[in-house]
Amino acid sequence: MKLFRNHILICTGTGCEASGSEEVRKCFHEEIKKRNLEDEVKIVDTGCFGFCRFGPNMVIYPEGVFYTCVKPEDIPEIVEEHLIKGRIVERLLFTEPETPKKSATSDDIKFFQKQKRIALYNCGHINPESMEEAIARDVYFGFGKALTEMTPDQVVDEVFKSGLRGRGGGGFPTGLKWRFAAKETADQKYIVCNADEGDPGAFMDRSILEGDPHAVVEGMAIAGYAIGATKGYIYCRAEYPLAVKRLKKAIVDARAEGILGENIFDSGFDFDLEVRLGAGAFVCGEETALLNSIEGKRGEPRPKPPFPAISGLWQKPTIINNVETLANLGMIVRNGWEWFREIGTEKSPGTKVFALAGKININGLVEVPMGTRLGEVIFDIGGGIPNGKTFKAAQTGGPSGGCIPVEHLNVSIDYDSLIELGTMMGSGGLIVMDEDTCMVDLAKFFLEFVKDESCGKCTACRIGVIRMLEILDRITKGKGKMEDIDLLIELSEDIKLSALCGLGQSAPNPVLSTIKYFRHEYEAHIKDHYCEASVCATLFNSPCQNVCPANVDIPIYIDLIRREKYREAYESIREENPLLLTCGRVCDHPCQSKCNRSKMDEAIAIRSLKRYVTDYVRENEGKLPVPEVKAPNGKKVAVVGSGPAGLTSAFYLARKGYDVTIYEALPVLGGMLTVGIPEYRLPKELLNEEINVIKEMGVKMVTNTYIGKDISVEDLKKDFDAVYIAVGAHEERNMGIEGEDLDGFMAGTYFLRDQSLGTEHDVKGKKVVVVGGGNVAIDAARSSVRLGAAEVTLVYRRDKKDMPAIAIEVEEAEHEKINILTMVNPVKVHGEDGKVKAIECIKMRGGEFDRSGRKKPVEVEGSNFMIDVDVIIPAIGQKVDLTFNGNEAIDMKWGNVLVDESSMTNVDGIFAGGDCVTGPATVVKAVKAGKDAAIAIDKYLGGDGVILTENQIPREIAYTLLEEECPRVQMPLLNDEERLSGFAEVELGYNKETALKEASRCLRCDVKDK
Amino acid sequence: MKSLKDLQAIKDRVMEDIKLREKDPNNIIIEIGMGTCGIASGAREVMQAMLDEIQKRNVQGVTVTQTGCIGLCVEEPLVIVKQPNKGEIVYGNIDSNRARQIVSQHLVNGVVVDEWVIKE
Repeated sequence: MKLFRNHILICTGTGCEASGSEEVRKCFHEEIKKRNLEDEVKIVDTGCFGFCRFGPNMVIYPEGVFYTCVKPEDIPEIVEEHLIKGRIVERLLFTEPETPKKSATSDDIKFFQKQKRIALYNCGHINPESMEEAIARDVYFGFGKALTEMTPDQVVDEVFKSGLRGRGGGGFPTGLKWRFAAKETADQKYIVCNADEGDPGAFMDRSILEGDPHAVVEGMAIAGYAIGATKGYIYCRAEYPLAVKRLKKAIVDARAEGILGENIFDSGFDFDLEVRLGAGAFVCGEETALLNSIEGKRGEPRPKPPFPAISGLWQKPTIINNVETLANLGMIVRNGWEWFREIGTEKSPGTKVFALAGKININGLVEVPMGTRLGEVIFDIGGGIPNGKTFKAAQTGGPSGGCIPVEHLNVSIDYDSLIELGTMMGSGGLIVMDEDTCMVDLAKFFLEFVKDESCGKCTACRIGVIRMLEILDRITKGKGKMEDIDLLIELSEDIKLSALCGLGQSAPNPVLSTIKYFRHEYEAHIKDHYCEASVCATLFNSPCQNVCPANVDIPIYIDLIRREKYREAYESIREENPLLLTCGRVCDHPCQSKCNRSKMDEAIAIRSLKRYVTDYVRENEGKLPVPEVKAPNGKKVAVVGSGPAGLTSAFYLARKGYDVTIYEALPVLGGMLTVGIPEYRLPKELLNEEINVIKEMGVKMVTNTYIGKDISVEDLKKDFDAVYIAVGAHEERNMGIEGEDLDGFMAGTYFLRDQSLGTEHDVKGKKVVVVGGGNVAIDAARSSVRLGAAEVTLVYRRDKKDMPAIAIEVEEAEHEKINILTMVNPVKVHGEDGKVKAIECIKMRGGEFDRSGRKKPVEVEGSNFMIDVDVIIPAIGQKVDLTFNGNEAIDMKWGNVLVDESSMTNVDGIFAGGDCVTGPATVVKAVKAGKDAAIAIDKYLGGDGVILTENQIPREIAYTLLEEECPRVQMPLLNDEERLSGFAEVELGYNKETALKEASRCLRCDVKDK
Repeated sequence: MKSLKDLQAIKDRVMEDIKLREKDPNNIIIEIGMGTCGIASGAREVMQAMLDEIQKRNVQGVTVTQTGCIGLCVEEPLVIVKQPNKGEIVYGNIDSNRARQIVSQHLVNGVVVDEWVIKE
């Protein structure tokens, strides 16, 4: 045998073939020949590495270097650099998601580190078409051992003791099933391999068959020997041509070597195999339908009992095992049941292969020990959710299974734990869903699948599923009724009871499990006609508007910008959001995260366009326009707090003719907008112009009046017809650590407030540590830099990606040289002479997953370290200042004001909204609260509750959409020098040209007939 | 297929070929300097001779691989022999004849060819 210095294993699985592996191999062969390396370098076609998302993949041995996304044009470089000069081609290495870390070998890649490969042991290690390579990696030794050293009963016993359970999804103990068939006496018994893998998104069995067919042949031979079957059938779908080809070759080779045939291993045992192709009907994965299909009959299920182990194929005792189950057998017999039992959990020993699909960074194939936490598979192995979105749920078991929501990320993956959650292991499809998945739509998708795949034998499944689908369809179109949910559950139970086979019985599962965990989504669709994921398109105009708390008609105003009708654009936005100048600068723009354009290139810069509209109108009209106000209706409303919620409610109420007075405790107006957001993000002068609009509408604004101190709520109630409490959440939470009373320790909100009110804290030349990961923390840190701090460090107890602050703010903070330390938490403040001297921190590590889907930070014992510091600014969250509620007349919950659906507190006529109800939230959410309050107060005082006028601008596209790739127009920023020397606004805004260009990128999702 | 022995025979034979895919900490690693300097002074021929000799003599547990320029261009072709727990030996100015001798002397007989060693 020729010795080579390098082996290059290139994946030839279906995944990599689809991404162009064949061409890569061809080029490699040519290049090797061209460079005369044929005697030194061997190219080996191999099976799936599991890293399908980054195919074509290859490994170069002996170094074990793992190259991903290799294209034919990369080959000359690999040969020249790696094979000739011994230098790794860095750019083709894998980079871990969200880090700059490049990994040279597969051992370095996190995706592979937590895996344990039994069924996939040889996948990606051998040439699947070489029986000899399979033998070199121990295939057939288990079969040999069984035949030469064990009796059939001993083999059954071994597998029984190993605790191996059916990997097809049901989890029935394999050894027990075998026992039934072994006990039967018959002139002929059969072994059948179920390779009819049909779950959407699942490809475990295909990869095993393609990557290591001999392991499956061995498993079948062992099973045959154990139960006394001399004949086996592999039922594989015809749409797996590569798997079929390799299986057939494996069978031919095994026959030639005498592994199949007569008197194998001189033991007197005869065994042979045949491949049967299925046409791809989902129901033929159901074992009795599968048997019918092999017999040449229609693929319909048979009643059970009799079970196939007693009377199966041609009424003979038959054992049907799944591909993955069979692929485990060789190793179990070879290594013994005790070895197998040490892997996985007590009741679910061994490993499970999963096909990771959906919204996940690394799509691919993984094999993990049973008992691994779901969150580990999704985040540690799969690299988490792409594009900074949040995890919503994972679907296991395909159309027969159910979903697992975020609060169960810690679930141990084993048969019984998943059943407990109302889903099942299934064959291994693991579909990951993020915030953009609508769970009602998901249920509809799976039900549609089952409808298409139902064989039609049983009425319940054939007709019941269609009826359920009709109900779901009308819910997603906003025509559902609340009774529909119960009707769905009732129909589900009926179908489960009356369908004959597994397919029908499990068909309603996705509906039941989505109702179980996401009932609120069903209710939102039915009651509010609202689809939070922006999927059910009949319920909204455009995804961006749908997700905007203020409901701004974004595509319409972008269209108006495109047509250079800025005043109309201004009015269109103001109709839904009176704080448009403010939101154009500081909104966290949930709209942009749903922009369909991001699937092409980048989301539209919606916020920047909104800002441009206000910039334009201000400059061209000299001031912001004041809307028309209705004649006074004689009713008076008091608003407590001049923050965004209070201002918004005042705007709409004044417009309807109410006499509104805002009371503000501080000497300045604007609440958190003024004292919470630094000048460089929202200049006070501009904010005041926006507040002045509301003043000019007739709203009275009284500052320096602390409700609860200067005037009581009860007194307000006497003087006004209604009161709206929108006091925000201004009080900083304590960290609860030693040393908080030392000089140099000041809360983030107070630090920012004092700054806004003109009292600058002296941090010049000092070392500052800010604690927290939210916007207040970032604002405090960036303000400190501007005030001349020598060194600013931000410590946060979780990962950077978990920070609640707006991502771009975090980026800018880093740009401004703020040192961000993550996975670190302060434990004690050390002082000297009553002053802060150092902060003692401890390192954290990610523990269990919490309800937010983030890893709960856990202290790493003994990892304490000190940071020298002069000023410590904690900004870990705010709570409500309860002064207004002096006599506790108003009910609270968890420190927030409690209100009913109409924003009213327990006291008649007193309403509340904004941060004091929800806890700290965003400006645009406060705007929504203000709108809701205005509607409720208007209704309470006898009005019609209509505060908006309907959009009159037609939804049409009178131009050609820009459908070619075109990235976003970047927002111009202030240069570093000017930026850091003061508090000048950092974002400079678009000009007419850039605004028009950006506006023209809108895809007009709101126009349905294009 | 008559016995496990038959199966083992196939495994032993094929393992020789594919064992370079397995990480074996006991393997001796031979690195040949294949930077531009190494190639210019004949590293390719050294590599071929090395592989050929190892095969001819059926030397077990050796992995031959290539490495880049280590800055000692004047001494190229370089051959670095890394033995587990024994440190590494760098040979300089190796040609294909010397490469064969390194296999027979160093790898087979365990005797370092002092004459060509430039660094121990």
